[in-house]
Amino acid sequence: MDGITRVFATGWRGPTVRALNGITLRIEEGEVVGLVGANGSGKSTLLKIILGVLAPTEGECRVFGVPSGRREARESVGFLPESPDFSPQLTGFELVCFHAQLGGMAGAGIRGRVDEVISGVGLTEARNRRVGTYSKGMRQRLGLAQALVTDPRLVILDEPASGLDFVAAEETARTIRALKARGRTVVFASHRPEQVEELCDRVLVLDQGRLVLEAAVAELVCARAPTALLVDPLPAETLGDLRAWLRVRGVEFLGVERSRRGLAQAIWSRWDGRGGEGVERP
Amino acid sequence: MKRPPFSPRRAGLIAGYTFREAVRQRLLVTLCLVAAVTVGGTLFLRELNFGSSELKFITDLGLGALTFFGAILAIIAPAQLFFSDLEHQTMLTVLAKPVSRTEFIVGKFGGVLLLLAVYCGAMTALVAGLLAGYQTGAIAARMDGPGLGSTVFLSGVAVCGLVTWLKLGMVAALTLGVASYARSGGFAMMAGVVALLACELQYLARDFYGQMTTPWARAGVWMLGLALPDFEAFNVSGRVAAGESLSPGQLGGLATYALAYMAVFAGLAVYGFRHREL
Repeated sequence: MDGITRVFATGWRGPTVRALNGITLRIEEGEVVGLVGANGSGKSTLLKIILGVLAPTEGECRVFGVPSGRREARESVGFLPESPDFSPQLTGFELVCFHAQLGGMAGAGIRGRVDEVISGVGLTEARNRRVGTYSKGMRQRLGLAQALVTDPRLVILDEPASGLDFVAAEETARTIRALKARGRTVVFASHRPEQVEELCDRVLVLDQGRLVLEAAVAELVCARAPTALLVDPLPAETLGDLRAWLRVRGVEFLGVERSRRGLAQAIWSRWDGRGGEGVERP
Repeated sequence: MKRPPFSPRRAGLIAGYTFREAVRQRLLVTLCLVAAVTVGGTLFLRELNFGSSELKFITDLGLGALTFFGAILAIIAPAQLFFSDLEHQTMLTVLAKPVSRTEFIVGKFGGVLLLLAVYCGAMTALVAGLLAGYQTGAIAARMDGPGLGSTVFLSGVAVCGLVTWLKLGMVAALTLGVASYARSGGFAMMAGVVALLACELQYLARDFYGQMTTPWARAGVWMLGLALPDFEAFNVSGRVAAGESLSPGQLGGLATYALAYMAVFAGLAVYGFRHREL
């Protein structure tokens, strides 16, 4: 992406709005990149330009070496919009099948692939139900299924966890991790920095259409941060010995902080979201 | 940005998707059912024939209901199907695939045309069935004479169904053309209604044109008349009810005229949609 600027006109002879301003960046194949920014910072506009549904006013965007918008570029891309609301009259299977056919798939193998991807997002039992009966989380997963059905090399997700409960958000995170494990490139916009930290190799921060920060997540999180040493258990006498030992070696001891797991992690460590019998009480 | 070449296969897929979506929409299905009930109800209303023959009354009312409810369908369906995709962002999932905007609009229009074809086919069959049943029953009961009226040829009813489909296709193309520029489905529907009325009243514009004396005024009215199709020639139900039919030449002329306007309106829709910010 080289020098991308996008200007929108607001109404007839109205003032123009510069949604993107001279964005230059390169995303490597196999990377998971998070796009962070406030509302109106230009995230969705940037994603639409990568998709090729919006032309930049200035600059050039290429997807795997091909100008975005060309058929070859679009064949390599899958897209999940923010909070998609698919036609309630169609079944999940029909919808994913339609997108598979639009993506160029044909022949006998199409049903198998559609079933596979529907199963991958956990909608097998609901595949023949009309989308109108789906919950918001199920619609989001269906959106993910249509984006992945052609097995694209680049997956673009606009706020994939927007409005989802933590079970559905964790399912989405699992899907993104699986895509990364298979070497797919993922670009997703998010309002949640903790999600970007958990899933992404690199983060891009947009502010008023400008790219204000571009860094590897690991570098950004660890830079100038104290190192934590996790131990379990830590009796009082051991702590005294440890402080003395560290002091001798010139390491500054900053304090003791009890490590806590987040509630979502704690629930997920006990229950994987796939059901079970009985009530578990610690 | 270079556009992918037009693919009839992808446009066909979108047409099939649009058709399937439309036939499962409660509003559109209800509209078709009301139309069917109204057409069926003509048998029970034939006593109110206001002096015309019963067959003519049944034919007039049945074909009138076909046109009236069809016009509502031809306005609502394209506007609603276009804007539901736009507002729910699902249009982006389609356009993110290797699908051009031209294929999208042609597909949408194809789906609506298919919907109107099924509607017109079903309603025409219903009217023809009613007429056939009534004529057979009346003849068997020796009810011929001035009360029954002249026999209505079923082929004429079928031609009327085809001509109505062509007319509704123009209405749908016009509404889709407006929708591709409009900001809301409500506006597109209102514009569709106004355009439909203007097309139905074209004969007044032509009369007015005949009375013009200044060349610039004549040119202005002529241009206005050319911008919208004249639906007077498509209102053939009266002729069919009188037992007449259209010659193949007349039918071919109407089809060419309608297809030309459909192509122009669909072309405008494609142009508007290509330049629309999504």
